[in-house]
Amino acid sequence: MSSFTIPIGPQHPALPEPILLKLEVEGEYIVGVDVDVSYMHRGIEKAMEYRNYIQNIYLAERICGICNVAHTVCYTLNVEKLYDKEIPPRAQYLRVIIEELNRIHSHLLWLGVAGHEIGFETLFMYVWRDRERVMDLIETITGNRVNTAYTTIGGVRRDITSDIEYKIRKTMDIVEERTKYYKSVAAAEPTILNRTKDVGILKTIDAINLCAVGPLLRASNVKNDVRADAPYAAHDEVPFNVITYPYCDVFSRILVRVDEIFECINMIRYCLDHLPKGPIRIKLPLKPPKGEAVTRVEAPRGELLHYVLSDGSEKPYRYKVRTPTLANIPSLCRMLTSTGDYIVKIADVPIAYASIDPCLCCTGRVQIVDIEKNKKWIWSWEELKEYSKKEWEKS
Amino acid sequence: MAMFKELYKHLFKKRATVLYPFKERELVHIPEGYRGKISFHRDRCIGCGVCATVCTSGACEMTTDEKGKRPIFYLDRCTFCAQCAESCPKNAIELTKDFEIIAFDRKTLVVK
Amino acid sequence: MFEIEFAFKILEIFIFPGFLFIGVISLLYEWIDRKFYAKLQNRVGPLYAGPFGILQPLADFIKLIAKEDIVPKAADKILFTLTPLFSFSIMLTATLLLPIINTSGILSFNGDIIFAIAIMTLFCILVFCAGLSSNNRFSAVGAERAVLQLLGYEIPLMLSIVGVALNVGYLRISEIVKYQLTNTWLIFGPQALGFAIYVIAAQAELERIPFDIPEAEQEIVAGWLTEFSGRKLALFRFARDLELVYVSGLAVALYLGGPLGPTIAGLEPFFYTLYFIIKTIIVLLILSTIRALFARLRIDQMVNFSWNYLLPLSVLQFFLVRLVI
Repeated sequence: MSSFTIPIGPQHPALPEPILLKLEVEGEYIVGVDVDVSYMHRGIEKAMEYRNYIQNIYLAERICGICNVAHTVCYTLNVEKLYDKEIPPRAQYLRVIIEELNRIHSHLLWLGVAGHEIGFETLFMYVWRDRERVMDLIETITGNRVNTAYTTIGGVRRDITSDIEYKIRKTMDIVEERTKYYKSVAAAEPTILNRTKDVGILKTIDAINLCAVGPLLRASNVKNDVRADAPYAAHDEVPFNVITYPYCDVFSRILVRVDEIFECINMIRYCLDHLPKGPIRIKLPLKPPKGEAVTRVEAPRGELLHYVLSDGSEKPYRYKVRTPTLANIPSLCRMLTSTGDYIVKIADVPIAYASIDPCLCCTGRVQIVDIEKNKKWIWSWEELKEYSKKEWEKS
Repeated sequence: MAMFKELYKHLFKKRATVLYPFKERELVHIPEGYRGKISFHRDRCIGCGVCATVCTSGACEMTTDEKGKRPIFYLDRCTFCAQCAESCPKNAIELTKDFEIIAFDRKTLVVK
Repeated sequence: MFEIEFAFKILEIFIFPGFLFIGVISLLYEWIDRKFYAKLQNRVGPLYAGPFGILQPLADFIKLIAKEDIVPKAADKILFTLTPLFSFSIMLTATLLLPIINTSGILSFNGDIIFAIAIMTLFCILVFCAGLSSNNRFSAVGAERAVLQLLGYEIPLMLSIVGVALNVGYLRISEIVKYQLTNTWLIFGPQALGFAIYVIAAQAELERIPFDIPEAEQEIVAGWLTEFSGRKLALFRFARDLELVYVSGLAVALYLGGPLGPTIAGLEPFFYTLYFIIKTIIVLLILSTIRALFARLRIDQMVNFSWNYLLPLSVLQFFLVRLVI
C-alpha cells in the first residue's frame, strides 16, 4: 500500500493551538510524523529586555493563560534570588495556595478537553461546569479569573480574610466530591476505556531517554516531581505524595491528573490550617544587584525553568524561559510512530496529542526563511555558533 | 452506561447557564476587589509620575493640565493589572467593579 | 370523480401528510433533539430564534442556502453536484411509505419493507460517492469509514426487520400495522430484543455519537462533508433530519403499533397523526439519550462490536421468533 501525508493543523478543529503534525499514513496506520511548532512565537524573551522588573511580572504572566500562576511564581522567586533577602513565610504559604488552585483548574480543563477529543461531549460539559466554581474562587481571591497577578517581587499583593478562607474550604469540599465521581466514571465507562487503554504508549525507558517531564513522565512509572526533588516556596513544609501509575498509556495519564487534583485539595487544606501570621510582602529596591539566577517550578504541565542575567540596571540583560511542552514534543513523536507490534491509527492522534497537555503558546521556536533565495531551513547549534561568530567579527 | 443516573437527575435540575445580559443580569456576581475600569481622583494626585513608570503596556502617560502634572489613562491599552493603583503613594487611582467597557471608537476609551 | 380524487391525491402527497408536513416535522424534531441533548448536559439549547428557539433549524437552513457555494477545482463536478440532490430526494420519497393518517402510507405495495431497507443502504452509497467525488484526503478517509460502518450495522438491521415480517407473515408495512390492530403491539413479545437491536443499528445509520465515525469532527475535520458548502450542505443537513423522521417512523410502524390508538370514529386522521407524532418523539428521546451517554468508538471497535455482539443477538432473536410461531 502506498503512503500519503495527512497534515493535522495548523488550523484544525482538534487543536486548541496551531501546530503542524505531518503524518505519513498507510490506510489507517501511521508510520511517521514530522512536527513544526513555530506558529506561536511572540518574541517575549526579547520584549522582556526593554521593560523593568516590575513591568516584566505581567509580561511573564502572559506567556501562558492556563498556567499563568506558575510563570509568575517562577519569575518572582527567580528575581528574589538576585536580592538574597528573606521573604515572609505567610507570603510563601499564600503562593502555594494560589499555585495549587491553578493546578486544579488546569487539570479540570484538561479532563474536559480529553473528553471532547474522544467525542464524549457530556463529560466535557459537566467538568467545565464544575471548573467554574474554582474560577469564581480565584476571582474572589485575586480580582480576575485568568490573569491573576497575585505574586509580586517581595511577596504577594493581597491577603485572604476569614470569609474568603471559609469560601475556599467550601469549594474544596464540592470539588472533591465531583472529582471522586469523575474518577469512578472514567474507570467504569467502557467506551472511555476502549479509546484510552493501550493508546499512545510511551515506555519508561523511552520517557527517560527523551527527557519527558510532568504527568507524562509520572504516568510511565518514574517518580519525579520538582516540588519533592528541589522544593521551593514552602513546599518543603507542606506534605504531599508524588503520584505515579505504571500503565504508560493515555488512561494512566488521566488517572495521574485526577489523583493530583486530590493531592492539591489536601495541600490547600493543610496550608489554610497552618497559615503563619505576619506581613505579606517586603519592599525591595527597583534595581537588583548584579548576578544570575535559575529557578525550577512544577507547572501543571511539567517542569518549568527560568533564567535571569542582571547587570545592575532596572531592566534584565537576558531572560530565558524553557517550558515543559517543548520537552514533551520528542516523546509525542515517539508515541505517534508505529513500530513492530505497536500500531497507531489516525483515530488515536487527537487523544494522544491531547494527553501530553500541550500548551503551545509557551513553545514557539524560530524557523528561518530566506525570501530572496526562496529557501527554508532550521539551524543546528553548530551552524548558529558559526553564524554568530562571523557577525561578531564583521562588527 | 456509567453516566445514566447522573443524566436522569439532570432532567429535573435547573440549568447552569445564566441568561446574561437580557434577562438575568442581576445574577452575575462581582466580588469585592475585582479589577475593572479605572477611576482617577484628581484632587489626591501630586504628579510624581510613578504610575507611568510601572505601567506594563504604556496605558498611563503623564500630561499637564492647569493644576500641574497628572496621568491620563488609555483604556484600550490597559491590562488591568492594578500596578498603578498599588504604586500610587496617595491612593489617587482606584479600579472599580465596572467591567462592561465597550465602545465603537477606540479614542473614546480614555479616563481623564 | 377521477379529477377530484386525483387532486386529493396530489394534495396528500405535497401538503399533508406528504412533503410539507414531513419537512415541518423534521425541523421540529431537530429542535427537540438539540433541546433535550442540552437539557441532559445542564445547559440551554437554541434560545433566541423564535419562542424557545423553535425556529433555529429553519434559520440554519436559510442561512446555509444564502452562503457561497464553492466547487473545488479538482472535484468531479457531475457527482459533486448530484449527490446532495439525490440524497435529499430519495429520503423525501422514502417518507411517503410511513403510515401517518391511516394504517397504510401514501405509497404501499407488496414487498415495500425491502424497499425501505434498500433506501437506507442507498443513502450510504451516496455518502460514499459524495466523499470520493470531493477529491480531498479527509473526505476519502471519511467515505472509507462510512462504507466500513455500513458493513457493520446493515445485517443486524435487516435481520431485526425480517424478524418482524416473519412474525406477521406479510412483507408489507400496512399489513404489519393492521396485525397490531388486532393483536398487541409487537414490542410486547419476542420482538423486544429486535427493537433494541433496531435502535442501536439506527443510531449507526444516522451517524450520531457513539457511531459518528465517518464525520468525526476532531480527527478528519468533517469527514465526507468537508468540501460541501452553501446549498449543497443545506440539502445534506436537511436529508439528515428527514432520515431522523424516517427511521423513527419506521420503528413506530413496525414495533409500536404505527399510528394506532383509541380514537373517535370519523376523526381518525386527526387522532392517528397525533399518536404518530407522540410515539416518534418517544423513539427520538431514546436516540438522544444514547447520544449523550457514550464516547465515540473507533472504526475497528465498531465493526468488532457489531460482528461479535449485534449479529449473534439478531440471529438469536430470529430463532426466538421461529420458536414462538
